[in-house]
Amino acid sequence: MMESKLHVENLTISFHTVDGKVQAVRGINFDLQKGETLAIVGESGSGKSVTSKAILGILAGNAIIEDGEIIYDGKDLLKISEEEFHKIRGDKIAMIFQDPMSSLNPIVKIGRQLTEAMILKGKARQKESRSNFNTYLAHLQEAMIQSGACGEGAGVLTDKCHRFDKFEYKHLELEAAYNKAHEAAAEASAELEDLIFELEKNAAKDLSFRIRRICRLAETSVQTYVVQEKAQILLGLVKEVGPLVPTVKRGADSAALREKLTGIKAILDEAIGFVMPNFFALGYYVTFSGQPIPQMPVEELNRTMRKYLDEQFMLDFLADTREALRFSSDRSCKEKIEAVECLKKYRAVFEKQSLDKAECFKALKIMTKEVMDTVDPLDITRDSVTYTFGPGLENTLNKYFGGLVQNPKEQHRYEKELQKYDALVAKGKEPDWKVVAPALTDLDAVRRSMLHQIDLVIDHYSRALERHQARDFDADAVAVVDYLKANASGVVHKVTKRMAKERAIKLMQEVGISEPRKRYNQYPFEFSGGMRQRIVIAIALAADPDILICDEPTTALDVTIQSQILELINRLKEERHLSVIFITHDLGVVANMADRIAVMYAGKIVEYGTAEDIFYHSAHPYTWALLSSMPDLDTNEKLDAIPGTPPNMIYPPVGDAFAPRNKYAMKIDFERQPPMFRISDTHYAATWLLHPDAPKVDPPKAVTDRIARMKQKREEQKNGQ
Amino acid sequence: MDNNCNSSNRQEEQTSQGGAGAPAYAAGQPTPETATTEEDQVLLRVEHLCQYFGSTKAVDDVSFDIKKGEVFGLVGESGCGKTTTGRSIIKLYDITSGNIYFKGIRIGAGTKSYKDEIRRARAEYKEKIQTVTDPAEQEKLRAELRRTVAEQRAQIKAARYDQKNCDKEYAQEQQQKVQEKYAPLLANAPESQRATLQAAYKDEMRKARKTRLVTKIQMIFQDPSASLDPRMTVREIISEGLIIQGERNRQVLDGAVYEMLEKVGLVREHASRYQHEFSGGQRQRIGIARAVVMRPEMIIADEPVSALDVSIQAQVINLLNDLRKELGLTILFIAHDLSVVKYFSDRIGVMYFGKMVELAPSDELFLNPLHPYTRSLLSAIPLPDPEYEKNRKRIEYKPLAEHDYSVDKPSMREIKPGHFVHCNQAEFEKYQAILK
Repeated sequence: MMESKLHVENLTISFHTVDGKVQAVRGINFDLQKGETLAIVGESGSGKSVTSKAILGILAGNAIIEDGEIIYDGKDLLKISEEEFHKIRGDKIAMIFQDPMSSLNPIVKIGRQLTEAMILKGKARQKESRSNFNTYLAHLQEAMIQSGACGEGAGVLTDKCHRFDKFEYKHLELEAAYNKAHEAAAEASAELEDLIFELEKNAAKDLSFRIRRICRLAETSVQTYVVQEKAQILLGLVKEVGPLVPTVKRGADSAALREKLTGIKAILDEAIGFVMPNFFALGYYVTFSGQPIPQMPVEELNRTMRKYLDEQFMLDFLADTREALRFSSDRSCKEKIEAVECLKKYRAVFEKQSLDKAECFKALKIMTKEVMDTVDPLDITRDSVTYTFGPGLENTLNKYFGGLVQNPKEQHRYEKELQKYDALVAKGKEPDWKVVAPALTDLDAVRRSMLHQIDLVIDHYSRALERHQARDFDADAVAVVDYLKANASGVVHKVTKRMAKERAIKLMQEVGISEPRKRYNQYPFEFSGGMRQRIVIAIALAADPDILICDEPTTALDVTIQSQILELINRLKEERHLSVIFITHDLGVVANMADRIAVMYAGKIVEYGTAEDIFYHSAHPYTWALLSSMPDLDTNEKLDAIPGTPPNMIYPPVGDAFAPRNKYAMKIDFERQPPMFRISDTHYAATWLLHPDAPKVDPPKAVTDRIARMKQKREEQKNGQ
Repeated sequence: MDNNCNSSNRQEEQTSQGGAGAPAYAAGQPTPETATTEEDQVLLRVEHLCQYFGSTKAVDDVSFDIKKGEVFGLVGESGCGKTTTGRSIIKLYDITSGNIYFKGIRIGAGTKSYKDEIRRARAEYKEKIQTVTDPAEQEKLRAELRRTVAEQRAQIKAARYDQKNCDKEYAQEQQQKVQEKYAPLLANAPESQRATLQAAYKDEMRKARKTRLVTKIQMIFQDPSASLDPRMTVREIISEGLIIQGERNRQVLDGAVYEMLEKVGLVREHASRYQHEFSGGQRQRIGIARAVVMRPEMIIADEPVSALDVSIQAQVINLLNDLRKELGLTILFIAHDLSVVKYFSDRIGVMYFGKMVELAPSDELFLNPLHPYTRSLLSAIPLPDPEYEKNRKRIEYKPLAEHDYSVDKPSMREIKPGHFVHCNQAEFEKYQAILK
């Protein structure tokens, strides 16, 4: 099962305006899995941007969140305070807006805007890593002592933990130095490739500057890791290059210079290809053996160091960790069994026809405590079901009792208004107002949802208990050590201005901006549209977010740039395991990007499925209309434009919102809203056409034709390869 | 008799009022009968158009013809000069060099090429004179140089004159036509009708005086909300051009506005509203109405659908298609969405960094893209098919690696009838081999 990053349930948002209440989003549900791209497609005004803004907590002032929850990392984003949101917004969830100019400050240089967040977040991250590292180590130590791992005394175990703490930093120092040299070599090599090519074409610019830079990089790379004899050759070559530059600049043949540069490049490339040293083991060796690093080839060095580390420390430590994990996990399991019993017992409280407020809240308190007790402090990934249970249930309970008070009043108002209306009609008048349907809370549904929440936890725990038998503690112990390593590197990873600049320039390169060093000191107005959008993406990525929301990032760009930006987002998603929410009105764009697609219309999700489901087996007339209204390279006939405009959401239609523009609309479409019909496990659509009693309707010809055509094209593509 | 020669936007009225088949068409504007026979007639010819902004060469030596009634697509990435080309044609900029002919009349001309020629000739002759020792020979060369310079100067003068006065001449022509038409009528008219006829004559003369040739080319802009004045009603926006052209009759103006609104799919009631009361697609329709009300022969559509939603895009494209068929419009369609351009255009020109790199009929271009940039552009089009998309490889275009222009300079060459590519001799042969 994949890990769910973001969970949106029954989100309902409206806006207060002078004309009335605009219902922008009307009860939408979706999940965002880790590492997937979810595309939300719809026309302007369908509520897709509002949804994304709600996730980021930047809704306009006149917005009212009427209902629903957005769960991220065990927190409901709709209920947390602004201070807490500061930690999430931009850091964990970042957003790319449609208009890059509106998200850039016009009077601040690009460089400053790029590094600002890095420097600010750097400190916060460092603090977080430190607290993670310390707490976890403390928990581990405690668990070790309690489990009495390997029969050793408490003192020995504490010492071990501290030992881990001590050498951890040394290894990071070594690694940082190595990385610096390695990066310098890689950069020099890349630069060299360009330069040699341009020299061949006689089109090299800024020659002396670039040569100087390459030499500097090569010297940096030499200091730490190129094999000694090669290092001498490299330095020799670097010295020889300098005097050649002026002659080439004067117009002499560049063959000699090229030869030297190729020599440098060969050595650098060889060095880049080397195996990475095991810094972790090296760090231990340097800290505790008290001797310098022995001179030998990297592979051999790695083996020796590894052996030393394992014998001296690691095997022991891993065994202790394993014991601690087993102990802690066993305890958690016991708690889980208790919790399940407790939940089953108190479930009865919520099964009654009408609930008792005091009893319910008492049960809630006890259940929450039991559930929270099951938390295993040594679990690296937090179990969101456990953390969300308490607040979620409390929220639903409040809704139930709130609804209890509201319902009779609302019912009364509705009946009164209806009477008045009927009386007017009976007199033969035509009233110019309408009776607003009663906003009743469906108490039964709320109660069912509570029971569902409890069942969910019971199920989850039963499954966890089953899995417990098969748990591989050896692998987990290694994972724990890795986790500690990662956090320790976070602690020493200080972001200075200089570093931020280097990282920003690297990011700019990563997003495809040429001459980043020059561009770094420019203002936003000096960039073209595509370049600005790249800058915005770079800024969004600067904080290394978990979730990236892209709100029509390519609508204002042309095809080549659009294609590049999409590839860029895709690549970054793979590299950084991002989850992406991609909002667009252009279905053509998302075929490339999306794993799953949600089609929105008038504030509701009308169809929901994987990319294949939507493009090959779409079921909703609106999706058909979207698909057939855009021309592709083989379209010759008149386009099937969707007639009319989206409905006015101050008066949302009673039935299916798309019915007035839908040529397949039936009578029921104007009277009742269709529920979500299930087509397959991944594919859902809200249209009455899927009802068993509905007449069978085929998708329009434009859509089926295109699917057939695309199939043919795909085969051609396959044959072509 | 209210019909006149220049206000071609009154065609419908002319047919109703013109009576006994008076030749009610302006010079150069073919009657519907002749239009069908002259299908291949070139309406707009752009020759070696250059538009420099300081040292930036926004458009560099671009040439193409647009035939009457066709849709010519111009594609390329942002900043490649396609919008500048459109704006230069409609004389929003003073062009640096090259000629623009509309209906055979030079409406725009730049002088840089002539100036360069003078400079080049001076340098050339200076060298020649130095090598020659005979004074008589030297004097002969000097005379030759003077002649060349004088020729080029005359060219510059002519270009400047055309750039400034092309409209003036056109207006004079129109006025003369009106005079010719009314002189016999006025002479033969009985005393009782003379006053009304005189008034009509004056009215038409005023319109003829204010007519501009360039107004036969109209433009539709990318962002509909930015190109409509927020403080004008739709009626004022649409009728503004007609008023500038000298139309004063309120009824005629209103009639034109209502007719246009209905033509673009809006209703009469919309005339008294402001632009902010409309949706994006409706605003673009108003922009189109504003352009079409001038009865242009040519429309420059600068990314008319890029700012619109997909479903609205289809509506606007369908509308443009209908109008084109109904009014026989010629359209220069500038866009970056290749699927739309392919759907809409007859011929397509691909631009890259101010240069036209390939020009071909649209089917031909998509079937046999020759220039590496065109191929790269075509490989970037996203298609609505996830399976296909997963395997699509974007081809990158690296000018330095693709071309070797150090010896042989490239130029536009015709690989096969109608299919032009910017290439040098070696590439020319390579491309011809590909097509065979």
